[in-house]
Amino acid sequence: MMTHDEAASLLAALSLHAVEAEEVARVEAHVRTCARCQLELDGLRETAAALGTSVETLPEGLWSSIASRLDAAPATPPAAVTLIGEGPSRRQRASLPRVLALAAAAVIVVLAVSLVNANSRVSRLQGALALARQGVVAQALATPGHRLVTLTAGASRVAEFVLVPGGRGYLVSSSMPALGSRRTYQLWAIVDGSPISLGLLGPSPRSVAFTLADAHATVLAVTVEPVGGSVRPTSSPVADGRIAA
Amino acid sequence: MDDDFDETSDAQLVTCVARFDEAALAELYRRHGGAVFGLARRVTGSVAEAEDVTQEVFLRLWNRPEAYDSDRGALRSFLLTQSHARAVDVVRSRAARSRRELREAGRTPRAGYDVAREAWDHVLAEEVRRALATLPPDERRAIELAYFEGRTYVEVAAMLHEPEGTIKSRIRKGMGRMRGALAASGVQGLER
Repeated sequence: MMTHDEAASLLAALSLHAVEAEEVARVEAHVRTCARCQLELDGLRETAAALGTSVETLPEGLWSSIASRLDAAPATPPAAVTLIGEGPSRRQRASLPRVLALAAAAVIVVLAVSLVNANSRVSRLQGALALARQGVVAQALATPGHRLVTLTAGASRVAEFVLVPGGRGYLVSSSMPALGSRRTYQLWAIVDGSPISLGLLGPSPRSVAFTLADAHATVLAVTVEPVGGSVRPTSSPVADGRIAA
Repeated sequence: MDDDFDETSDAQLVTCVARFDEAALAELYRRHGGAVFGLARRVTGSVAEAEDVTQEVFLRLWNRPEAYDSDRGALRSFLLTQSHARAVDVVRSRAARSRRELREAGRTPRAGYDVAREAWDHVLAEEVRRALATLPPDERRAIELAYFEGRTYVEVAAMLHEPEGTIKSRIRKGMGRMRGALAASGVQGLER
């Protein structure tokens, strides 16, 4: 098994599909057991995808060629069970032996629907809040005596907070990857070596306000916690940053 | 499900695809097909091969929509990751053939850096290009050779006559910088 450091040094190359085949399996085996590497890899893949973003015009006829293969695709799962009530569809033509796989898929679909609804509601709310907070953050950044705290994960800057005199703090920017609805980021201040919760950042932090009353705090740290948060951190920080005196 | 998908999120469309809604797949193709095709064409350098890759990516989404986990990132990133992986496979199976020929000819492959740059203008979004331009040239080159030419870091090291560890760390540092620059510019990967 590859060590954490060995695997971490290969994540960027892995996100570019630039790791030798025999090494890929060993890195991936580590990543499956390491939440920090998984988060890092997810983030790197987003960056790699941004690199590959283009503005190409699609060749004519490509869609019809894809569409013509939809029915014929060999692995198409039959969805007869889930399709009830939606009228006749090509699914009912699917072969019976796939019904078992389909039943499993049906459960996934139902779960996915509720998660998706929850997610999109949350992101709409965050969007509205973000607009309202932009002014507040700008104001904080213009306040004399404000302090910026940059949180890093490995060598990457992943979030920036601003603290204003009096103890209010705000999230300025974040590139932490979204977690989905079952986990949340939680923000901590380290005071005399002990973590004190400053609150939940949600699964996809965009706009956050908090109060840091204790002037002795030396570090801000973010952990990934079960939804609802934790009284004390249940895992090591995915990002942290020193608060300048 | 009606056919007006303008307000529908990618994740919701994937759920519709899981219910065999062809119109939902068509909408996802409309949104992301160009990027999937563009990246494949960029890596393979071939329209025909890029069309094959694009077909595979969307057929796979149709057959296995559950492979996309919205907890892990944007659908666009997921599709581009697959497009890139398939395109790299195509290039490497080609390379396996031509490498033998090159060895026989006693030549070393050249980096082709300038050729790579030529396509930037219309291939990369402005912010991404700007972020790339801020990288130290040796980091940018390592990333370009790996990503756009489908080379492994071991191959890049051999091409540039540098130790493997050096290339690995250039890729790592460069990607970290890219991420920081994209975050700072507000692009930060791709919003879902």
